[in-house]
Amino acid sequence: MKAESAPTRERPKILPSNPGKIGESRPRADGVPKVRGEFEYSSDLRVDGMLWGATLRSPHPHANIWSIDTAEAEDMPGVYSVLTHEDVPGRKVYGMEVPDQPVLAWEHVRYEGEPIAVVAADHPETARRALEKIAVDYEILDPITDPAEALREDTPKLHLSGNVLKEVHIKHGDVEATADVVVSGEYEVGMQDQAFLDPESGMAVPDGRGGVDLFISTQWLHIDRDQIAESLDLPPEDVRLTLSGVGGAFGGREDLSMQIHSCMLALDAGRPVKMMYNREESFYGHVHRHPCKMEYEHGADREGNLVYVKARLVFDGGAYASSSNAVCLNAGTFACGPYDVPNARIDSYMLYTNNPPCGAMRGFGAVQVCFAHETQMDKLANKLGMNPVELRLKNAMKPGDKFPFGQTVPEPAPVAEILERVENMPMPEEEEIIGRDLRRLPGGVSNVTRGEGVKRGVGYAVGYKNIGFSAGFDDYSTASIALSVEDGEPIIYVHTAAAEVGQGGVTLQAQISRTELGVENVAVLPADTRIGSAGSTSASRQSYVTGGAVKMACEAVRGKVFERVREEFGDEFGGELSMEDGSVLAGNRRIVALAELLENGGIEETVVYRHKPTYPLDENGQGDAHFQFAFAAHRAVVEVDEELGLVRVVEIATAQDVGKVMNPQSLEGQIQGGVAQGLGLALLEEIQMKDGKVQNASFTDYLLPTILDMPPVRMEVLELADPDSPYGLKGVGEPPTISSTPAIVAALRDATGRELNRVPIKPEQLAGIEGEPIRRAPQPGSRGPVADDLGSEA
Amino acid sequence: MPGYYRAELSAEMKITPSPGAEKSPTEQTEAAREAAGDTGLAHEAGPETVVLAGSREEVLAAMSKVIEASLDAGARTVEIKVEAEGDAPRFGEEHANRE
Repeated sequence: MKAESAPTRERPKILPSNPGKIGESRPRADGVPKVRGEFEYSSDLRVDGMLWGATLRSPHPHANIWSIDTAEAEDMPGVYSVLTHEDVPGRKVYGMEVPDQPVLAWEHVRYEGEPIAVVAADHPETARRALEKIAVDYEILDPITDPAEALREDTPKLHLSGNVLKEVHIKHGDVEATADVVVSGEYEVGMQDQAFLDPESGMAVPDGRGGVDLFISTQWLHIDRDQIAESLDLPPEDVRLTLSGVGGAFGGREDLSMQIHSCMLALDAGRPVKMMYNREESFYGHVHRHPCKMEYEHGADREGNLVYVKARLVFDGGAYASSSNAVCLNAGTFACGPYDVPNARIDSYMLYTNNPPCGAMRGFGAVQVCFAHETQMDKLANKLGMNPVELRLKNAMKPGDKFPFGQTVPEPAPVAEILERVENMPMPEEEEIIGRDLRRLPGGVSNVTRGEGVKRGVGYAVGYKNIGFSAGFDDYSTASIALSVEDGEPIIYVHTAAAEVGQGGVTLQAQISRTELGVENVAVLPADTRIGSAGSTSASRQSYVTGGAVKMACEAVRGKVFERVREEFGDEFGGELSMEDGSVLAGNRRIVALAELLENGGIEETVVYRHKPTYPLDENGQGDAHFQFAFAAHRAVVEVDEELGLVRVVEIATAQDVGKVMNPQSLEGQIQGGVAQGLGLALLEEIQMKDGKVQNASFTDYLLPTILDMPPVRMEVLELADPDSPYGLKGVGEPPTISSTPAIVAALRDATGRELNRVPIKPEQLAGIEGEPIRRAPQPGSRGPVADDLGSEA
Repeated sequence: MPGYYRAELSAEMKITPSPGAEKSPTEQTEAAREAAGDTGLAHEAGPETVVLAGSREEVLAAMSKVIEASLDAGARTVEIKVEAEGDAPRFGEEHANRE
């Protein structure tokens, strides 16, 4: 059956904008509509005659499926399609790195919320009721939820080839090195969620010829398309994707969720099908940040020079692979931190369990290890009796040093400089605690004391991460630039498949185009699969890679413009040709207006841009795996109420190496947002798991920092150009998240003297309820502990 | 399969159990899966389908083990689809920066 109509959602008219040049702050076109609630997210998609899709999910984290009976659901009025694994026309599994995740489960379910069947009906409530009519016969199995258990040889295998998904072993220098001063520790990072605003959603529209159009919020249109096409058994050209309004991503939209399901339903029912997860379902519908347990040992000489680092990292990959391989590699390569470490032995493991699948999230492996290596540096400084910043400065890596994975540290690598900048920034003024506005106490108005137990602390941390895709991955982006004349004025059309997920990429593409071609009017076309891949909007890579593609395409267009000028006006201009204010200039002399030059036809160029090569690590974990590194340092000032375990982050100060400020306002937004996510991991955000089941799948129970939790962020940026990148820029999205978490925790340690080796920090850890108990006399009316146990305090 | 890591070779193997064999259809499939799992290259790709992914030598050797195990268990048909991941255009080659 042919689709009844195209989506009725009014596509935002592509109005040319005046986006300014690079280096200028320009508000994003989507900014005001988002703040006013007028932005159209993919969950707002609507079309006449559409059906609603819904997903039946496993309530068990680990079970065998003996049968699936859909007969009763199929007979319900208003139900158009009920599909199971038997209806997947092509490959029944998908996955970005390892295709191990069932489109719809057949014999086993490996995590709570795993999809088993999908339904399309004329109303969301009809679809929900149809799901209730599907009978699944489960044999419930004990879930394997501890990665350490999954690693044991006698543990049942969750996948055919075992529970170890990936191992990375890095051997650098003398792995048996010893040192005079040694500190060790065990650290743990909980499962953080991306907590994006708009849940997974999209609409599939059958084209009536066997193909399908999918309007979708995602981070990477082409990798979605390729996986969908394989499972639908269609050629990629019959699966066309267009980006719809994306309400945040942070890595959580890099994997598929409802894409294949909606396309299958639409093709089966012959009608457009919309799928939209609710908030609880969203927690099951995307991957999360990997929980990780880390054992570290640092050795140094008595002057504080690092001699070696040993680390063992064990990540919980959850039920399926997602991008866990790359996370395991990243964590291994960054496990020592931005320090010159002569000897290192790093063992990084990624395990399958029956927990939710984990994958990409802002910081991608660097976040977990930064918490551990920065805690170790503080511990080492304490043992040496050194200032922790001085210890970091003494060991800061610099260009020409070797990373533990063998690559030479490239220019620029201003680790010492960003640390010094952060240390030298003014401290926030100390405010008298007694008598201050209650909202500025730890816990705000929930603080029932007068602040008698409030202590202040300061902590520092520095971190780094690769930009873009590494280890030999063919990382590229495609851009098309069309320069033409409309209504007597030159206009640039920019077309890429780069997903705008809220990072400001569309504005940046326009700024680059205007800068390169000197034309006021720029229109950025919707991202879709009509053009070649732009790669993923992740790994802080789009400004570099798609920005580079747009710049290169503009240069190609400019070359064609100059050819045309030379054809019409000859070669003798007495100056270099340039484009400015809609004209071609020679020196300061105007040669011809573009409106005149292009009146008989515009110019369009499509290019593919690649950054310099990277290579896989060898068997000893050595290789030129990454092409760019970004560094950030943070200083946190906190106040802790030790009586109540409440925290107020007073201020975050940060210095970051950005290469080139392309849009100051966007950069500030990235830094503020990254700090907020780092603060969330330090103090609030964790998916609570019990026996493989999510305990807090809602924004009521999954705690997120709000504007009331966010402190002022004092920031300085360094513009030290990367000689290889477009304009010298560096990716900026992830570094603010990486070291903000350990800086906050270091400040909490400074205030409380407690170990705090796990994030997020719970109030009970700060108040001393968890771990070593604080001895107290019983309250009136309470029997309390027996007198002997209380000793002299009784 | 696109992604960060591309196996040099992947082999999708569908084992069709033989109803007349001594072992049950489930046992026949299970024997093939176990052999596939032992190679360290396998994951499931359907009720009777496994995928082996790895280097050319590894996958070719593993395929033979899975076929052998399937036949030994009584299966008479193993459908195989082998895909070689074409070398992506490398840096500095024909798709290099046009600057």
